[in-house]
Amino acid sequence: MKGSVIKYERDNIDTDVILPGPYLKIHDYAELATHAMEGLDKDFHKRVKPGDFIVAGKNFGCGSSREHAPIALSYSGIKAVLALSFARIFYRNAVDGAFLLPIEIDESAYKDISDSDSLEVNISANEIKNLTKNKVYKMKPFPELIGKIIEAGGLFNYKP
Amino acid sequence: MSKTLFEKIWDSHIVTEENGRSLLYVDRHLVHEVTSPQAFEGLRLNGRKVRRTDLTFATMDHNVPTSDRSLPIIDQTSSTQIKTLEKNCKEFGITLFDINSPNQGIVHVIGPELGITLPGTTIVCGDSHTSTHGAFGSLAFGIGTSDVEHVLATQCIMMEKPKTFEINIKGKRKNPHAVTAKDIILSIIKKIGTAGGTGTVIEYRGDTISELTMEQRMTICNMSIEAGARAGLIAPDEKTFQYLRGRKYAPENYDEYVNLWRENLKSDSSAQFDKSFTFSAENIAPQVSWGTNPAMTTDVTDIVPFPEEYGGGNTEEEKGAAKALQYMDLKPGTAITDIVIDRVFIGSCTNSRLEDLTEAAKVVKGKKVSARVRAMVVPGSQLVKKNAEELGLDKIFKDAGFEWRESGCSMCLGMNPDILAAGERCASTSNRNFEGRQGTGGRTHLVSPVMAAAAAIHGHFVDVRELDLN
Repeated sequence: MKGSVIKYERDNIDTDVILPGPYLKIHDYAELATHAMEGLDKDFHKRVKPGDFIVAGKNFGCGSSREHAPIALSYSGIKAVLALSFARIFYRNAVDGAFLLPIEIDESAYKDISDSDSLEVNISANEIKNLTKNKVYKMKPFPELIGKIIEAGGLFNYKP
Repeated sequence: MSKTLFEKIWDSHIVTEENGRSLLYVDRHLVHEVTSPQAFEGLRLNGRKVRRTDLTFATMDHNVPTSDRSLPIIDQTSSTQIKTLEKNCKEFGITLFDINSPNQGIVHVIGPELGITLPGTTIVCGDSHTSTHGAFGSLAFGIGTSDVEHVLATQCIMMEKPKTFEINIKGKRKNPHAVTAKDIILSIIKKIGTAGGTGTVIEYRGDTISELTMEQRMTICNMSIEAGARAGLIAPDEKTFQYLRGRKYAPENYDEYVNLWRENLKSDSSAQFDKSFTFSAENIAPQVSWGTNPAMTTDVTDIVPFPEEYGGGNTEEEKGAAKALQYMDLKPGTAITDIVIDRVFIGSCTNSRLEDLTEAAKVVKGKKVSARVRAMVVPGSQLVKKNAEELGLDKIFKDAGFEWRESGCSMCLGMNPDILAAGERCASTSNRNFEGRQGTGGRTHLVSPVMAAAAAIHGHFVDVRELDLN
């Protein structure tokens, strides 16, 4: 996966800013996507391109259980969120629905990656290449079963 | 081997295990209109049925208007979502407490009041505040829509076993009418942070917890998710058994159940928790949040913090506080009691039960809402509303100038007509003060029902310990 970075230097980016409450009534995923990150960054949907990555701080996706949050990011083109840590329901929704990859990175990678950097993410090698800065970071490997669900393409495609 | 309460419930619900993940049986599945449409659509596309319609209960709460129920719903998308749930429940054979049902209400209020929530059971719902049901010794998880579909189809959920986290709350509060369960849980989140409980099931224990009523315990467990926990849990006791006795869906041979619950549903005295935290409730003050997450909270007697002091050397915390204060339009050093408000909301799954309204009414009785404030009370369910009206609480609130509304999630989450306008400042008994949560640009201060009621009267925050609440 290759793409460029949209970075938010913030902890606790909650599901209410990822996809604000009023839009939970929208069933069309493409329309949902036009409101992604609207609570934090009104220009996000103009800026985001297919294949982009979000980079953020601790506890990404805290708050509500709305699956609309990873869906909106996914349909806006985001392939993975690289964060210091994730809130559990968001993490689970992202994986179960195969919407995007929730990738945990460490403090040094978080600090080093800049907005608009080009990254190449290789989950089989647990590696993130920063093509702009010509650097390589380690990502935290997915737990075995999570990895299998991701590989299968979500909870419903996974066969134990 | 000694076990915690969580481990006992977990172990008794395992269907199968693999690679550290367990397939757990789900005893009760609660469904609402917002997180279920795609799940039912998924069932339909795959030709699946709801496996246990008898264990699945639905209501509509998130986007129902709280105004006159005889009027049509103006917002077309809300109306569609509500009709979709009606259609899905009919098609799949699920019990629905619809908008005109005497049992309609916020899903986490009606579960316990109908006796759907029972000790020792597993409960899931497509809503993060499902942790509320843990107050009854029920292991209750908030889930997303994919999992809702999975549970509808299989009555099971796949989960990695969470860690256990014991929070011991000790000490007698000097003024329990002024320093409430809301103040206890906000004080705890302030200490452990919004990710302090991540990956764990919290068991709240200690003499302070034993003293709380069931409704107060629900307020505590409700906000477990604001500390990032997967669930919150309190061991059931005589108060729990008494509360559920005679409820609509409580089991018929109730005493037999009580005997089993009494015997089994507690952590063994030698049980080990993965994590432990002890908290003294003795000297805590009423709490008011000043920032944009529930950990950004302080005593009513305190000031709006200076970001550099709040950060305590942590630059990320400092930046976060500065951004929060900018959004909240607050100046560091301002006394909390000098913060002037525009709106008051008493309601939500955190604080909309009969006792919340009774306590708030004591503050309001015989007084008038400040001319600068628009204040509303939104009972959590039709049953709460009916019971409150029988006590004359509606009259007390209305005489003071409060709006007395129909049950629903209302102004907690900005997806129905009850919202803040940009720039409006609200004293709210809800659970989240995130940016835009109550409406784009709205500013939320989380407080207890008595604090909200007092703020409505005075137009700014006041220390309710100075009022006569007995």
